[in-house]
Amino acid sequence: MTQPDLSFWSLTTEFLTTPLWPAWIAGGAIGLLAFSQRWITDQPLGCSAAFGNACARLGSQLPLFQSAAHGSATDWKLWFLVGIFLGGLVASLSSGHWAAPTDFGTFYQALMPTSMAGRVLWWLFGGVLIGLGARLAGGCTSGHTINGVAMGSPASIVASALFFAAAVGTAQLTHLLLKTTMVGG
Amino acid sequence: MNTHNLFVRNGLFLLIGLVFGFFLSRAGATDPAMISALLLFQNFHLLWVIATAVGVGAVLNLLAKYRQWHSLTSGQPISFPHKPFVRALIPGALLFGAGWGLTGVCPGTAPAMLGEGQWFVGVILIGIILGTWLVGWIDHRLHKPAQSGNHASATR
Repeated sequence: MTQPDLSFWSLTTEFLTTPLWPAWIAGGAIGLLAFSQRWITDQPLGCSAAFGNACARLGSQLPLFQSAAHGSATDWKLWFLVGIFLGGLVASLSSGHWAAPTDFGTFYQALMPTSMAGRVLWWLFGGVLIGLGARLAGGCTSGHTINGVAMGSPASIVASALFFAAAVGTAQLTHLLLKTTMVGG
Repeated sequence: MNTHNLFVRNGLFLLIGLVFGFFLSRAGATDPAMISALLLFQNFHLLWVIATAVGVGAVLNLLAKYRQWHSLTSGQPISFPHKPFVRALIPGALLFGAGWGLTGVCPGTAPAMLGEGQWFVGVILIGIILGTWLVGWIDHRLHKPAQSGNHASATR
């Protein structure tokens, strides 16, 4: 047995490669990053607006996507999403394992259709709800909740409360239905 | 803004996004099982993540606001633009919440999940783009200009 290496560097590496951090550290890091972005770039954190840019770049001529809000000067929003993709990749590679692509947990496993075609439709439908809802509400969990609530923005507080109410309601209700059908059938 | 500045700006956001995606993954926010555990009140890990993120952000925002901290790149005092109370906020927020609850995915975690190797999120990303496009289509229908004939190509 060799002595465990307790140098600062090895402890840091070990922490950075741990797949799951304590909630307060991960949350603190996200809050700090959201503020750093504000401080460095004077742009608030947000994710869903970039999908409007994606529509514009994919060739949609709809006036909403041709507006300045989704103009090429705002394409950094798309690059931000590309960065998030790379961040997930780095997280997976550095912790030494890929996320199991079909590990949805027991709840989603039971909730989703069993056939692949049914699942693809489920994900597509869910995605449409996410995109439609977030853009109608003017933001998602990052833009409204992490960014807006931290500013005390009233619209963001209302939006976030409704996000959680609808998500909790949907999950709890379908969970209840699953249980009753399992008992009944 | 010239090409060089745009390049630097895009690169900067790519980098911030990379760190954000990494943190989202380490927070457990990219794990659908973790999301369902939160929504079914089985495990509050993600609630504490969100609460700490909002708390840390709120303290720093207040400090920056009242001490007039300046932004690093613009040199101006940091701005705090509130999102407006749009008419569609309530139905939109409810639809988003339902989609989030049914899939365990949101627009920010989706790219990180794809990067982690959860390929099914690719389908969800296509859905999010379709849903976003639908908002543009609804917007176009509601604000139909008088000379709608000129906008025949706008429904693409």
